[in-house]
Amino acid sequence: MDISGLTGDLFAALAPAATLPAPATPPAATPVPVRPAPARVAVTRVQAQPRQLWVALSLPLLALSPDTPQDVPVVVVEDERGRPTVVACNALAARQGVSAGLGLETALALAPELGVQRRTPSLEARRLEEVARLAMSFTPLVCVEPPDGLLLEVRGSRQLFGGLTALLGRLRTELARRQCTARLGVAPTPRAAAWFARAGDERPVESAAQLGGRLNALPLAVTRWPAVTQEALARLGLRRLGDLVRLPRAGVARRYTTAVLAELDEAYGRLPAVRRHYRAPERFTTALDLEAEVGNQALLEPVLHRLLDDLGRFLEVRAAGIHACSVRFTHRGRAPTVLTLRRSELAGGGGDWHRLLYEHLARLKLPAAVTALSLRSGVLVPLPATSSLLPGLADPAGTGAEAEWLIDRLKARLGEAAVTGLCLVEEHRPEGATRCIPPTLAGRAAEGRDRLPAARRPLWLLAEPRPLTVRGGRPWLDGGLVLESGPERIESGWWDGSEVARDYYVARLAGQARLWLYRELGDGGVRWFWHGVYA
Amino acid sequence: MTAKLDAWLADSPLGASTWRARSLAATSEPTVPSGWARLDAHLPGGGWPLGTLTELLLPRHGVGELSLLVPALRRLALADDDAARWLTFIGAPHDLHAPALVQAGLPLARMLLVRVAGQRERLWAAEQALGSRSCAAVLVWLDEVDDRALRRLKLAAVEGQGLGILLRPLRVRAQSSPATLRLLLEPTAEGLAIEILKRRGGGGERLGGVLSGS
Repeated sequence: MDISGLTGDLFAALAPAATLPAPATPPAATPVPVRPAPARVAVTRVQAQPRQLWVALSLPLLALSPDTPQDVPVVVVEDERGRPTVVACNALAARQGVSAGLGLETALALAPELGVQRRTPSLEARRLEEVARLAMSFTPLVCVEPPDGLLLEVRGSRQLFGGLTALLGRLRTELARRQCTARLGVAPTPRAAAWFARAGDERPVESAAQLGGRLNALPLAVTRWPAVTQEALARLGLRRLGDLVRLPRAGVARRYTTAVLAELDEAYGRLPAVRRHYRAPERFTTALDLEAEVGNQALLEPVLHRLLDDLGRFLEVRAAGIHACSVRFTHRGRAPTVLTLRRSELAGGGGDWHRLLYEHLARLKLPAAVTALSLRSGVLVPLPATSSLLPGLADPAGTGAEAEWLIDRLKARLGEAAVTGLCLVEEHRPEGATRCIPPTLAGRAAEGRDRLPAARRPLWLLAEPRPLTVRGGRPWLDGGLVLESGPERIESGWWDGSEVARDYYVARLAGQARLWLYRELGDGGVRWFWHGVYA
Repeated sequence: MTAKLDAWLADSPLGASTWRARSLAATSEPTVPSGWARLDAHLPGGGWPLGTLTELLLPRHGVGELSLLVPALRRLALADDDAARWLTFIGAPHDLHAPALVQAGLPLARMLLVRVAGQRERLWAAEQALGSRSCAAVLVWLDEVDDRALRRLKLAAVEGQGLGILLRPLRVRAQSSPATLRLLLEPTAEGLAIEILKRRGGGGERLGGVLSGS
C-alpha cells in the first residue's frame, strides 16, 4: 500500500458525520511540517526525507547485565503499578516460559530457581551509550532512543561498507562480539525503523513506496503508546497499524492523544521526524571488560585489533584523522599500563594503526594479567580533501608518507630516542656541534656550510674523548700514532663553565685508520685524547 | 680530491681494461656510481648495485668505509630532490659528526640514525629500512648473522630499491652471503685497498690504494 492511501476518508468509522478532509498531504518526496514539532528541549531537527535511510536498533536485553550467568534463569524486574514486573530475562528463563511483562510471581511460578535483578536505569543508560559509540563508527548521525533503542542514519555511509547489506552484516557482527542482542529495523523514516526493530521485522524497507504497506502489517504494540490507549484500540478490534490508519484522523486525534497521530505521520513519512542527535565525541573512546583475566599477551592482540577496527571505522565515516591514541590495560590491584601509539602525521582509519600496534606489542611487557582494555584516541582532526573516504584507494603511496611511516614504526619498537636526525649547532667544541633532532626530510641542504671549520673533521666522533698513553713522546694506541696534520687550536666554552683549550691533530695509526686526536693544554702537563675517526 | 684520486687510479699498475669489458656487459640492474672511477670500472653496471645488498668486510671500524661510500650517498641524496629519501645508518659504532657530514656534502636533513643494541633489533630495523622506498641508502653494521636473516634483508632490499650496505667484521668472510657484491676493505700504507670477493660474473680482483688521497 502506498503512503498516499493513508487518507482521511478511511477514518470514517469513528467520524461523527461526514468524512473529514485529510490534511494537506504533500507527496512523500517533499515533506513539509504540518504542525509544530512536539515541545522538547534542545532538539535537532532531522527532516524525515525519503533521501534518508535509518537503521534502528532495538536492544531488548539491555537491562540484563552482560555478565549475567547463562546457566541459571535470570530476570530483571521493575515495579509497574506497584507490582514487580519482568522487563528482561535471559535465554534460559525465556525457555522456561518467562517473558517481559509478566509479574514476578508468575515468573517465579514458571521458574522457581529464578535469579532476580532489580532494574538499574543508570547502568542501562551506560550500556546504551556504549552501543551508541559503536554505532558512531558506522555513521556520524546517531540518535539515542532511551531506554533501549538507537537510530543510525546510514544513507551516506553505507557505501563505505559496500552497501546496506554489508553494513548491516558488520553491525551485526560487532554487536555479537559485544554479546549484545539487538534487532535491526531499516526504513526511510526513523520511527518506522524503530517500530520494525521492536517488531523484530528485520527485512529492510529501503524505498518510501514500500513503507506504508509494510508498516500497516505491524502490531500496535510496537508503538509503546500508553496502556490505556493500547487497550482502547484493542477494544475497537484494532490490532495493526494498518487498522488504525484507516480511521479518520480527527477522530483519532480527539479520542486518543495528538501524539498518536503525530507519531503515525512521522512513521509514514508525512511529518518531519525530530530527533536529538547523539553528540559526536571529538575523541574516540571504547572500553572492553575481559571475561577472564588475560596474562598471555598474544591473546590480547585480537581484542586490541578489534578496538582498532572500531577506531578505524569511526575515523573513516568522519573523514577525520588523529595523531595518537592510547591503549589502557587495566590490572587487578595495580596501576594500569598505558601504551601510546603515535604518528608523525595525521593518520586516518587505514590499516596502519594495526601495524603500529603490532610493533608496540612486540616490545610491551605487561606487569600483570589484564582485566580490561580501553582505547582512547587523540582529538579528531579533519583529513585533507584527498581523504581516506575510500579506504584502500587513498593509500598514502607517496614517499613522504612512507618516510613518516618508517619513522613511526622504528620509533614504536625502538623508542623515540633511538631514531633521530641530525642538525648542526654553532658551537666550537666538537662534542657540542652535533645535535640529535627528530628526523625530518625538510630540505635544509646548504645549512651551516658557511660556518664550517676550515680543517676537515672526522665523520665519527667518539662519545667521550679517550685518553691515550704516551710513549717516547708520541701518543700511542695499539701502536705509535703518526701526526699527519695539525695543530688546530680549539678554545671555547669559558662562558658556560666547560672551558676547553685543545690542539687537534690528524694522526695515522700505522697502516690503519686515520684518527682525530687532541692535546689538552692544561696546567697538569700534556695529555693526549682520541676524539674522532676519519672513517 | 676525487679528481686527484682518479688521476692516481688511472696510472695505477692495476689496469681496469680486463674487468671493464666483462662488467659493461654484466648487468642491467640499477646502480649508483661509487664516485671512485677505478672501483666503478670493476663493478658490474659501473657502480654500487641498488635494490640488493652489498657487503663490506672490515678488519676494524674506521678504515675508510664511510669515506668510500660518501660520494654515492651524496649522489643519491642530491638526485632525488623532489622526493626526498633517507640516508639511514643503523647501529653505527660511533656517533656521526655533523660538521664532517656537511663538509662531505651530505644533506643533514636526510640523515636518519637508528641506534640499536641487540642483533635482533638491528636486523629488524634493517629490514624495515631496506624494505621502505623512503630510504635512498641503508647502512647497517652487522655482526655474525645466519644466512636466512641475510636473505630476508636481501628480499627487503629488492622491495625498497635503495642502496643496501652491510658493514661486517672480517671474520665472517668464510660464511656464505646472499649479498650481490662483497668487498673486503684493507687499510694499507698506500690507502684503502679493496678486494672484490664476490660480484656478478666473478670476483677475486684486488684494487690497491683506493681512497689514498685526502
